[in-house]
Amino acid sequence: MDELNTAFSAEGSTARRRTHARNRSFVSQNSSQSVTQHTRPRLKTPSLRHRTSTPDSLRSTFSQSDIISPIPRRHHHLQAHESRLWLDTPPLSPTSTRAGSPGSTRGVTPLSLRPRHTLSFSSIAEHDPSRSHHVAHDKKSEDSMARRWVRWMHKHGIKNYVIPAAVLGAALIKWCIGLGSYSGQGTPPMYGDYEAQRHWMELTLHLPVKQWYSYDLEYWGLDYPPLTAYVSWLCGVIGNWINPAWVALDKSRGIESPESKAFMRTTVLAFDTLVYIPAIVLFTRVWQESRSTRTQHVALLTLLFQPALLLIDFGHFQYNSVMLGFTLLALNFFASGQDLLGAVCFSLGLGFKQMALYYAPAIGSYLVAKCIYLGPQKGRSLFIRLALVTILTFLLLFLPFLPPLAPLSAILDPIARIFPFARGLFEDKVANFWCASNVVFKWKVWLSRPQLVKMSAILTAVGFFPGVVTLLYGGWKHRMLSEADDKSRAKDSPSSSTPEPLLPLLPYALLNSSMSFFLFSFQVHEKTILVPLLPLTFLLSGSSSGSETFELGVLVNNVAVFSMWPLLKRDGLAIPYIATLVLWNRLVGYNPLRLNSQSFLRYLSLAIYTAMVSLHILELLISPPARFPDLFPVLNVLISTPIFALTWLWSIKRGVEVSWALGGLGPSSTPAKSSQPALSTLRPMLAERKPTLDRLTVNGLDGVPEENFNLTLDKDFIPNARQLKTRSLGFARGAKVLQRTASAELPG
Amino acid sequence: MNETHSLLEPFPQKEPIPASKQEGEAAEPVRIFRWRTLLQLDVASADWDILVLSTCLKLLLFPAYRSTDFEVHRNWLAITHSLPISRWYYDTTSEWTLDYPPFFAYFEKLLSIPAYFIDSKIVDLQNLNYDAWSVVVYQRITVIVTELVLAIVLQRFIREAADPSVQRIISVSLFLHPGLLIVDHIHFQYNGFMFGILLWSILMARNGNKLASGFLFAILLNFKHIYMYLAPAYFVYLLRSFCLSPTGALQPTKFLSLANAVIIVFLASLGPFILMGQLPQLLSRLFPFTRGLNHAYWAPNAWALVTAADRVLLKVAQRFGIEVLAINEAGVASTSRGLVGDTVFAVIPNVKPIHTFIITIVFQAIFLTKLWRLPSYKSFVTALTLCGYTSFMFGWHVHEKAILLVLVPLSLLAAENNAFFRTFMIASVADRLLHPLGSLGLRTTTEESV
Repeated sequence: MDELNTAFSAEGSTARRRTHARNRSFVSQNSSQSVTQHTRPRLKTPSLRHRTSTPDSLRSTFSQSDIISPIPRRHHHLQAHESRLWLDTPPLSPTSTRAGSPGSTRGVTPLSLRPRHTLSFSSIAEHDPSRSHHVAHDKKSEDSMARRWVRWMHKHGIKNYVIPAAVLGAALIKWCIGLGSYSGQGTPPMYGDYEAQRHWMELTLHLPVKQWYSYDLEYWGLDYPPLTAYVSWLCGVIGNWINPAWVALDKSRGIESPESKAFMRTTVLAFDTLVYIPAIVLFTRVWQESRSTRTQHVALLTLLFQPALLLIDFGHFQYNSVMLGFTLLALNFFASGQDLLGAVCFSLGLGFKQMALYYAPAIGSYLVAKCIYLGPQKGRSLFIRLALVTILTFLLLFLPFLPPLAPLSAILDPIARIFPFARGLFEDKVANFWCASNVVFKWKVWLSRPQLVKMSAILTAVGFFPGVVTLLYGGWKHRMLSEADDKSRAKDSPSSSTPEPLLPLLPYALLNSSMSFFLFSFQVHEKTILVPLLPLTFLLSGSSSGSETFELGVLVNNVAVFSMWPLLKRDGLAIPYIATLVLWNRLVGYNPLRLNSQSFLRYLSLAIYTAMVSLHILELLISPPARFPDLFPVLNVLISTPIFALTWLWSIKRGVEVSWALGGLGPSSTPAKSSQPALSTLRPMLAERKPTLDRLTVNGLDGVPEENFNLTLDKDFIPNARQLKTRSLGFARGAKVLQRTASAELPG
Repeated sequence: MNETHSLLEPFPQKEPIPASKQEGEAAEPVRIFRWRTLLQLDVASADWDILVLSTCLKLLLFPAYRSTDFEVHRNWLAITHSLPISRWYYDTTSEWTLDYPPFFAYFEKLLSIPAYFIDSKIVDLQNLNYDAWSVVVYQRITVIVTELVLAIVLQRFIREAADPSVQRIISVSLFLHPGLLIVDHIHFQYNGFMFGILLWSILMARNGNKLASGFLFAILLNFKHIYMYLAPAYFVYLLRSFCLSPTGALQPTKFLSLANAVIIVFLASLGPFILMGQLPQLLSRLFPFTRGLNHAYWAPNAWALVTAADRVLLKVAQRFGIEVLAINEAGVASTSRGLVGDTVFAVIPNVKPIHTFIITIVFQAIFLTKLWRLPSYKSFVTALTLCGYTSFMFGWHVHEKAILLVLVPLSLLAAENNAFFRTFMIASVADRLLHPLGSLGLRTTTEESV
């Protein structure tokens, strides 16, 4: 259990031990009657499937026991810093079969006292009728494959193996995807992305650094930032050591031997395992610290099997997971307050792939907002340190191209290669604003390239503006709040070690800025959808099944994979496309056909899925007319773009909502200040809540779980809680329910 | 074994989640899920999960390496589609002639019909070594689809088991068995389908429907005759527990019904070929005794040991010039270097098919007598396992893949007690054997079980 439990243990341990002993005999008595229990539908509460009791044994327990105290159970709201509440916490699993921990008497608490389904306080407060209805009868459908598996592992005492097993399973799947073809397989003379990456290995291995960005640019010249070049060099060294033919300069162009393919696939898997997997494991630990291990594991599975990333990295062939992994690591460091390390990681991500720039407005404004929040003195020092660290990282990354080692002009080569404004507005058919609107407005005819560049830059900036503003405003507002607080309390201004109040805004700002880049910026590639997918999947992994975030997150993930269909089809990845999509949707427990909630989003997704499937069928059956050879890709773009645009709008909406929620909670919401609550503030709260509790309890056994009752008890509140006699209150409640149960069960 | 205990311990009260209970739960939200409850086949979500997961994995294995068996089966599709039935067992266009019993040929005929519409080149007899994407996808999909038989039967086992959670682990470990995955979905064969029928037959035996059990086994034999290895156990078990009363008196009606069922199956399978007078040709295709004692991929069985001993003795004889040992010059050359060449020993007297039969039957007789005395379901499954083992150890021209034959009935016993569970774990490791390396694992297993 948790701290609450240990706090009680001083006085409660003896009593508990006694109950525990009783519990044993109770259970054994119980097991003999296990046949009867299944005939009793009322007792089928899943959380107690192994410990249900017959009315006889129930009564006998009660005749012995004096106190049935509500055992403080862990509640996520209690442990969470309020800044983490944004994660859209679901109720505790309604079908949890978690056994009570050894020290708890949870096992004996009579069934009738148990919640039939566990609504969190927030969901009661929200009065969301649709949601609470679902919890009641939707237990099975709300379950996901990931959750079932994780629960099974936990139940059988092998929860330590969840992460290794999941990572190994994912590696197996990745490797199996890698068995298929890759970008540009068997298409001389240029081949595809696979050949580009392989070519960079030979190039960096055999040529001096100053030629890296200028050697034979026509044939896949290096156009990624230096960290990619260094990684390629490392791979080249290893490849050269195993078999020099794989990376022989110029002679190895277009090499497609099975061994070299296996080597290339291994490098992706290795870097994925080195960067991305630690990043997501840390992510579940840091960002979802307040959640149960099960939820963390489920989130890990959601991120591990994200189909778009699997298909592009392990099918199409790229190293996106490295860049995304660095970004995630940066977010993890931000969440744990280590902003400098975070800045280093993000700079590394930028130094690996310039696509990380899509995140830069959000991350930059987050750090600036944090400096504002910390106040003039600490903020300024943090700002200077951040700037120094970032500049230093970039200097290190570009070191070989800088003066002592190379002439100053050498830096121009990589820069010109990394930012290719010389290319077109968009490449192929990509589901963004420009390509979709190009159906009607022929941008390239109407406007010149500089004009287009300017326009796309302006639109992009407008696109990410809301995210930046909410962050900066949030920082300013928190500064105001803490200043007001400082005056009244004469306390120190918040130190950088306090929880990050602005953190909840960050994912939405990331989504906002990356999506606006994807939709509006210049020279976007369809694979780039992976960048906005990361913050979205990250939000999705923390959301509960059936919530808005969940629905939208899965929808956008599916649509994103669909939007890459022309690319995947060209790569010969049709079968992995189907397999990974099916697997992941099953894993997160998403059924595209289910229409249980009558929300707009549900109808929209149904329409989108219908359109997607019909397009696939059409494409299978008929070939496009000669006049419109690109008919299907364009239709694909037209289906996908609205969803991406919707996501962009949603990210703004959510950002504003969360910002309001953070700022609107008043001074006491800042966690640093809630350490000494007055008893007087607690009492009315309890009094206010009690009638609700009673009413719900009387209305039916589906009532309120105990932990809701404990909601108001922060761990710091415990002495007060004792004074409030929570335990006897719980007893009163238990007795009441018992009476009801007994009278209902006994004949007559 | 410790693992089993730790699996079971937290829940000493067995958790019978009977089918009826789940139905009850599913029936509750009828108002919303009416159409889904109709479709719901009373399969637990966990089982769906496994099916989805395994199917996705198998889909991803499409582009994996394929052995010549892939071309063998494609050629059979072509033979059965483009030739009249009278020529099936005579065709030698490809070196991969049809050498499975007629039911399998009919099965291929059935598969060849959609194949023709998908890509007519698949069923072109002259189009040897055709490996376009269409044929790969088609053949791989047929394996996945036919393997559903195995999935359904395993699911039935779970549903009817005393302890579904343990049976589920066993079922899943069989369904996702690396050996099966490698042999069926990489190497390419239809073992999942066959094992589905075998398990179905065993399931029928367990449920007391012994007539159906015998009928299904007869069908299985006509799909793939390798299952003859298991036939003695079936014969003894059905004769003792179905045809004879407990006192030992023959029950004519039962005996006749079983005999008729089996005869009907064989007539349906072999009938056309008997009418055409092709039975000898068919049998010569099915039982190629001209092939050697050892398969090209040595099964790590007794003969492998004997062959190895022969090589050692030969070296000894050559070095010390021992005249007592008459060296067979033909055997000095080499043993089993060719693909399916004959094995000739240099020192040890040569082994003929009849010898292997005698040895196999002698060993099988030991536990078949026990089965005769106690014809229970459990001893039947044990006997099946041991039949498989003995045949694997002493059979003629055993392929290492045959170990799967042992694994399947053994898996049913794994739920029974720890010794079996342990054996199953070790035997599972024996799939390493499918790479010609880990023969050690199997030898341990065999010793343990015998």
